[in-house]
Amino acid sequence: MATTPNSSSTLSLWWKRNRQSILPPLLGTLGFLLFWQLSSSLGLTKLTGPLSLWTDERTRELLLYPFYDRGGLDKGLFHHSMSSLGRVAIGYTLAAIVGIGVGIAVGLNKSLDRAFDPLFQFLRMVAPLAWVPIALVLFQRNQPAAIFVIFITSIWPILINTAEGVRQIPQDYRNVALVLQMSSGRFFSKVLIPSALPYIFTGLRISIGLAWLAIIAAEIVMPGTPGIGFFIWDANQNGYVSEIVLGVIWIGAIGLILDRFMAWLQKRISPGQ
Amino acid sequence: MTATTLVDVQQLEKNFPLSGGGNYLALKGIDLEIRRGEFISLIGHSGCGKSTLLNMIAGLDLPTGGTVLVDGETVKRPGPDKMVVFQNYSLLPWLTVEQNIALAIDEVFPGLASDERNTLIQEHIVMVGLGHAAHKLPHELSGGMRQRVAIARALAIKPKLLLLDEPFGALDALSRGNLQEKLMQICNEHQLTAVMVTHDVDEAVLLSDRIICLTNGPGSRIGNILEVDIPRPRQRMTVVHHPSYYSLRSEIIYFLNRQKRVKQWQAKPHKVLAAHGLEKVNLDLGFIPLTACAPLAIAEAKGFFAKHGLDGVQLVRETSWRGVTDGFVDQTLDAALMPSGMPTWMAAGGHGGDPLPIVTALTISRNGNEVTLAKRLSDAGVHSVEDYRNWLQSHNREPHTLGIVHPASMHNLLLRYWLAASGIDPDKDVHLQALPPAQMLADLKDGSIDGFCCGEPWNLRASRDRHGVPIAGDLEIWNGHPGKVLGVREDWALAYPNTHIALTKALLEACQFCSDPNNWPEMADLLSDRRYLGIKPDLIHFSTGSKVAEGSHGPTTSSEQGEPHHLFFGAGVNRPSRSEHLWILTQLARWAEIPFPRNYVEILERICNVSVYSTAARELGFEDVTYQRSAIELFDGHPFDGNDPIGYLNSVSVHRDFSVAEIPLGVPRPLAG
Repeated sequence: MATTPNSSSTLSLWWKRNRQSILPPLLGTLGFLLFWQLSSSLGLTKLTGPLSLWTDERTRELLLYPFYDRGGLDKGLFHHSMSSLGRVAIGYTLAAIVGIGVGIAVGLNKSLDRAFDPLFQFLRMVAPLAWVPIALVLFQRNQPAAIFVIFITSIWPILINTAEGVRQIPQDYRNVALVLQMSSGRFFSKVLIPSALPYIFTGLRISIGLAWLAIIAAEIVMPGTPGIGFFIWDANQNGYVSEIVLGVIWIGAIGLILDRFMAWLQKRISPGQ
Repeated sequence: MTATTLVDVQQLEKNFPLSGGGNYLALKGIDLEIRRGEFISLIGHSGCGKSTLLNMIAGLDLPTGGTVLVDGETVKRPGPDKMVVFQNYSLLPWLTVEQNIALAIDEVFPGLASDERNTLIQEHIVMVGLGHAAHKLPHELSGGMRQRVAIARALAIKPKLLLLDEPFGALDALSRGNLQEKLMQICNEHQLTAVMVTHDVDEAVLLSDRIICLTNGPGSRIGNILEVDIPRPRQRMTVVHHPSYYSLRSEIIYFLNRQKRVKQWQAKPHKVLAAHGLEKVNLDLGFIPLTACAPLAIAEAKGFFAKHGLDGVQLVRETSWRGVTDGFVDQTLDAALMPSGMPTWMAAGGHGGDPLPIVTALTISRNGNEVTLAKRLSDAGVHSVEDYRNWLQSHNREPHTLGIVHPASMHNLLLRYWLAASGIDPDKDVHLQALPPAQMLADLKDGSIDGFCCGEPWNLRASRDRHGVPIAGDLEIWNGHPGKVLGVREDWALAYPNTHIALTKALLEACQFCSDPNNWPEMADLLSDRRYLGIKPDLIHFSTGSKVAEGSHGPTTSSEQGEPHHLFFGAGVNRPSRSEHLWILTQLARWAEIPFPRNYVEILERICNVSVYSTAARELGFEDVTYQRSAIELFDGHPFDGNDPIGYLNSVSVHRDFSVAEIPLGVPRPLAG
């Protein structure tokens, strides 16, 4: 008896405290969906409304059974996503390794920095889609080409932020290392990496978004392999507008989760900065 | 370099290349030896290169000239034996307090067993009082606590030398005070050698054994080194009562202000303006606020300077005689009112630099000084110098300090003469300390000095405030002794001979004005202005009580003989006297302020410019004031023989081990340009 009013009061207290951060995004999203549905129902746009995801039989099935696998390319969204995520994981990991490595080298060495900075600044402006034909020419095969597109799209923020992080190591930390006569190996692990870590993470967080963005471009070049990019491409070829809408929402949701995951990781790994 | 020396800085120079080409010379010719266990402070205005000097000792920056030796080895790179505590703490923010200290220990003592290592870490965390915060990250700590961690980290690796770069600069006053005491305690316990950069004068005095004052850049050098003789252990609240505290403090503040003034002076254009047949009419004339500065104030107010063609005279108020000395050394002053001992003292190099002959052509005042003892002594029955001697003998366990204004002033020489003639050794039985007059009143009040010898108005103020009682006037010691004189550099006098005569004429005429009792009320009003003394006119007296009573000013409360007595003009008053300056030379040598010059005849010849005075007096029509004074005779009747000064020195009962030396003055030559 005693706990009931108590727990209800903690619930209302929680609500009072978090109301400000829950209500506005909820209302905003609902308002947007309502507007979309209305404009679609009133015929203002040819795009199907959000309700069609449920009313359309194909998409309802996809929503209800994400895990089905009828062989070939006829799979649920989960399997498509996993294939895409696998590709992103490879490309992104390569980008992280190369980006952090080159970033540190460039951040530590002024002449290297001067030599390559214009090139980096130039290359990072090239859109993911533009890399597709080049990747195909370079690799001749679909899989490595797709991974290359993800890699080349996501490397720049990692590289540039890491270099900046290394450059921004406060002179005080360097002085501490100098006075203590730290070896370069110890300086690297005890001072350089921890100090540049917030910058590196900022780069990693921006890049995970870009890598995921590049997935469509990468999978367009790979007909016949499962993947969320291919799923949308395929729906487009067949004119299933509801499926495209579903694919887009799915991509957005996964991107959001990836970003939140990186933010959480950053908080865990580099506290106090 | 001796075995006790830890750091030896030799002829250090640092040049920074500028981005726009060219160089900035930050430091030049720095020589400094630091003994083991010594705490040194570097102080100076911002941009004077004190942090650069520290960085070069640390090896974080390399000199462009000269060397730094630590333990006999040239510093080429930084190392843990020269640990630095940085102003912004420089803790690694991703490590806890414990980990930060551990990092340093692991680097410096890699082979340490883990339990030894942990003991070392804990010991130092506890030492700085952070036992409760060992597992906190730096951002969870206050600034003061962070700096404690930095200090603990520095001490944990047992450096030979601790270098602190404005360690408490960013802290609030309370944590700063606590941390200063903590640092002092740690340094005492571990006999640490430390060098600290600071801009806080009180901090420097509290913590240091020696304070190094750096001059302004470019080309900063060591301008002054002060020994702090306050015994350890020191406490922040009690050091302020030590008699040296305020004199050290005022010395540093004086130094910093002086640097500022030189900077301002350099910023202005300085052209020699010639007019009216005079070589230079724009003069900076130094003085310090005393009743005896009346002729300068009068010459300005009554237009005597302009009358004699000097229409650009600027009176520069200094706070101490040091300012006058330095003004002559760096030539920011053209002429000054100065104590009568200063020309010979500076000519013999008593100010610590190269001998600098100062010419005097005019004695501006005579008398006007007095010895005041604290009220508590008179309450204890001390009414005469014999009483004081007995009192010193019965209280010989306590320190006894008497204040003087300047080593070359008559206050010092007369007080010493008076004490010595009465059987009190002025160096052994008491301690004479140079203090600014305003400080003497405060010290008399809080009991850190027994008394002082000083010019007016300070004796009168002490007795009015009932902190002091006059015990002997100069009338009883040497009636008619020279008080203040006009001084100029010898090269200045040679370059601007007509200006020198005009200046002497203007001041001689002002002296005549000041000697007329009818003018005294007007003079008191003038001097009470903030530009001069800035005190009430009824505290400014020029003669004995009975004569003041004739004027409009003030009923007097103190005794008749306790009143000041200034002579500004009259027969034999103003003419510079060689035998008086010789007496001063013998007294300065007697107390080992300077060696007795073997070439004293040459010095007196060059210092006393009687011909300028005679010309000035003749042109003013004052033939009657050119007579020489009678023989020098003081209260004890001991004869002074001007023909045998060394024989005289040997004949006085109390004297220090004086030396006789040739003072190289060089050939007299006029100022260039």
